[in-house]
Amino acid sequence: MEAKVRSKINGVSKLKGNEIDKASGRAFEWWGPSPEAARSIMVNKSKALKDKRANLRAAVNKYIADGVTIGIGGFVNTRVPVAIVHEIIRKGAQDISLCFQSNSICAELLAGAMLLYPEHLSIKRVELAWWGYEVIGIAPLLRQLASSGTIQFDDYTNYGMAARFKAAAMGLEFLPVRDHGGSDMEQVNRGKMMASPFTGKNTYLVPACYPHVGILHVTAADKYGNCRIFGPHCTCPEIAMAATHSIVTAEQIISNACIRTFPNLTEIPYTAVDAVIEQPLGAYPGICYGYYWFDMAHIQLFRRAADELRKSGNPDPLKKYYEEFIFGCETADDFLNKIPPDTLAKIKQLDGNQPVIVN
Amino acid sequence: MVQYSAVEMIAYTGSRVLKDNKTVFVGTGLPMIAAMHAQLTHAPALGMIFEAGALSPRLDGGMPLSVGDTRACQKSCYLKGLGAVFELTQRGHADYAFIGGAQIDMYGNVNSTFEGGNYAEPRTRFPGSGGAGAMAANCEKTIIIMVLEKRRFVDKLDFLTSIGFGDGSPDYREKAGVLGSGPYRVITHEALFGFDEKNRRMTLLEVAPGKRPEQIQEKVSFALQVSADLREMKAPGEKDLRLLREACDPEGYFLARKVK
Repeated sequence: MEAKVRSKINGVSKLKGNEIDKASGRAFEWWGPSPEAARSIMVNKSKALKDKRANLRAAVNKYIADGVTIGIGGFVNTRVPVAIVHEIIRKGAQDISLCFQSNSICAELLAGAMLLYPEHLSIKRVELAWWGYEVIGIAPLLRQLASSGTIQFDDYTNYGMAARFKAAAMGLEFLPVRDHGGSDMEQVNRGKMMASPFTGKNTYLVPACYPHVGILHVTAADKYGNCRIFGPHCTCPEIAMAATHSIVTAEQIISNACIRTFPNLTEIPYTAVDAVIEQPLGAYPGICYGYYWFDMAHIQLFRRAADELRKSGNPDPLKKYYEEFIFGCETADDFLNKIPPDTLAKIKQLDGNQPVIVN
Repeated sequence: MVQYSAVEMIAYTGSRVLKDNKTVFVGTGLPMIAAMHAQLTHAPALGMIFEAGALSPRLDGGMPLSVGDTRACQKSCYLKGLGAVFELTQRGHADYAFIGGAQIDMYGNVNSTFEGGNYAEPRTRFPGSGGAGAMAANCEKTIIIMVLEKRRFVDKLDFLTSIGFGDGSPDYREKAGVLGSGPYRVITHEALFGFDEKNRRMTLLEVAPGKRPEQIQEKVSFALQVSADLREMKAPGEKDLRLLREACDPEGYFLARKVK
């Protein structure tokens, strides 16, 4: 076997051989489709400007199946696709893989579903950079799932995950990046250190991440799926372009004439979108710039129930949350109708009326 | 004498190490507060970078509670996504990074992935790298905020998440393929550390008023180097505390917290 190019991490690392997947010589495997398979799916799709407005349940039923890899848009509490995640939990799926950068409530909601209803929903593995709530605290269900060793993790930095989605959006197998090298992520994740063919210098390569399904919440979209994003883009454009199919909820549907008036503002083109659903407050209790701030009290309500399961093993408060806010609802609007109107008015006011261009 | 808390000392020291006319890549909490205080005092032209995609926003909407918070983006000069701001770090646009973690070693390497057990089945799984691993690699200078405790200042990390000087060898970072110059300061409420230019080891630069270097060594597992020019940490004055409490974190999300 050829001599491996590496940093000097071996001299510092405490990890043992059996912890280091790559040391065991496991062959590289795409967790989603290969670049060729992803391209083939795209080539065979209709590129017609057709009306892709859909019912959220129908879209989830169509694209979410056992074993799929799901790319989750947004960042921590920002523009997180909560309405879509609720629908995925209502549907249920086995052995799904998740890929995201930094996420809070979407990842925790799926983890909680797995802990409470393992026969209904299960997560096989997670490719990520970060899983937590920032100011609100650590993610209790991540901690519980990780310590039981039931799901496989593949750790990157936030830039690493951005570059991985970007590589897939570009139709590549990998991208070179300036991080991960010299850290234990070089030992455990699926990237590789290589010598640059130009200078011979060590360069870390991260494998592209092609999800089967991208789930995203955006500011606005037209009925064909052209999307506008105000506020931070997070990595939503890259995830939509990387995925073989994308389900998008939008705060509002806008006209195609408006899209064509400012084509520079389109962050995701219609060819990358398969289903678009107008869902105001689709990121609630997360943030959507220009529309609402996050509802800390609601996130804490869910997190407290999750923490009780982790700390005392009592699943009842968490079950009550799922029964009331997910399984007790037919649609995202049913969920939102359970939130007091003055709470919704307050989070809208806390946005501070950020300017967005939607007409 | 003005009364200040441990957390206020950390925020004030964080502000003090930032120079004007630079940019700082900040995380949620004390890094943001430190940078806000610096902008309000000695560094009005300091720019902040937030990893969800913003460069130099105006924080007049209040302290952001997340790096993707609307408040971290409003009235920014440049607002894209994660890829764009991390590419700024690779290209040399980010002068400082503020990171934190659960464990640090003598070469400024930091763990924020797990503690105990092993990678596949950790006793305590932490959130993970997030931006920290990329910031420590490619912002020019890394500033690390830590709680000064023996279990955190360790001989060997359970997992090396954010690169420092690795094993201390001169070419460690070059062989890692990263571009930033590496760890610059470690801030705790009782001591400020830097790194020796020759051997890259953590070096005690300043101790809190009333503390002796031996008391700091007691809270660190590895042997500390002590600067020949050891100084006393500057305590926040009345005006600094007013700014921290009234302008930076008026609701006390972070400043009201206690340090063990």
